[in-house]
Amino acid sequence: MGSISLKTKSKSNNLTAPGDVDLGAMIPLATTTLSTATATVTFANVSQTYEHLQMRIWGYNSSGSDRTLYLQLNSDSGSNYRNHYLSGNGTAVSAGSEGAATTGILPLNANSSQTGFNGDSTKASVVIMDILDYRNTNKNTTVRSLGGWDGNGSGHVYLSSGLWMNTAAVTNLYFQLPYSTNFGSGTTFALYGIKRAGA
Amino acid sequence: MAHTYSKIATYTVGSGGIESVSFINIPQNYTDLLIKASVRNTRSGAAEAELRWTVNGSALSYSNRLLQGNGTSTSAGSYSTTFFYSGEIDAATATANTFGNAEIYIPNYTSSNYKSAMADTVSENNATSAYATATAGLWSNTAPITSINFYYSASGIWAQHSSFHLYGIKAEL
Repeated sequence: MGSISLKTKSKSNNLTAPGDVDLGAMIPLATTTLSTATATVTFANVSQTYEHLQMRIWGYNSSGSDRTLYLQLNSDSGSNYRNHYLSGNGTAVSAGSEGAATTGILPLNANSSQTGFNGDSTKASVVIMDILDYRNTNKNTTVRSLGGWDGNGSGHVYLSSGLWMNTAAVTNLYFQLPYSTNFGSGTTFALYGIKRAGA
Repeated sequence: MAHTYSKIATYTVGSGGIESVSFINIPQNYTDLLIKASVRNTRSGAAEAELRWTVNGSALSYSNRLLQGNGTSTSAGSYSTTFFYSGEIDAATATANTFGNAEIYIPNYTSSNYKSAMADTVSENNATSAYATATAGLWSNTAPITSINFYYSASGIWAQHSSFHLYGIKAEL
């Protein structure tokens, strides 16, 4: 059994124990609030000094219709992604997957009767995405997302996973919408780094 | 400046894997606990395995509620058993080098109330089947939580490179 006594502050192999040292674990890295409608948002040269990344998004698209939110990692636009979801719309719950040809992580998916990233500024979508062990080159990247929107009579909640079949460290996050759709003015993307113990 | 979100401990599974991972002597000076886990199990013949954990060495008095999708269909249910159940993570037949992604929140872990927990967990797999699970659980015991143990008992161990991360959340009191 692997165990850790949190009062010893000892280190053994890959076990770290900083005890009650409190350096703060969640660090804001970058925030982008769009001043005009914008087609894509990129976080480049992502710091490689954290253990996990968390992305928090609030906003809408400017098309008037719902759109799937796409995230591509390290500028990979190939068919190297797979996605699954669990969703509810206030009446029914559903689950599904996106096939092997998917060209991005889909935190909010407008396909398969889902409603995606909202196209109405009064019904903004919100999503929190966790990218664990993002610089671990022994692992493909699995992204977990929880999000949705509510429109006082309509709406959607969404727990999804996205797989990037590549073990490279994540250095670049690229967000876009299909059909030449822009993110609406005021849409905000906030990227956080989350430390590991001992870091 | 006070920090509300503090890293407490990390465990990364080494070569050969390991049967269980424990955080013991958990500090009692936070309000809540948060666990992030990037994990895979060696359970044979399956693409998924249950993310199970116990507290304080107890195998009694756990109950769980779940909402789950498996890539095709959905289910909801309850689960009274000997552990907290926090969804499904990747196992032996899932796409190589792919790990489940889980977050577990344990509020008021030092209180004298029964202990609640919630989790959202996903497995991934380059196939139709993969799991997304939201759970709520209860340990019907008033003891403060001083240890947490992740284990799997059905023919699997935690695979190499699995990582478990424990954080403390401190409220303004």
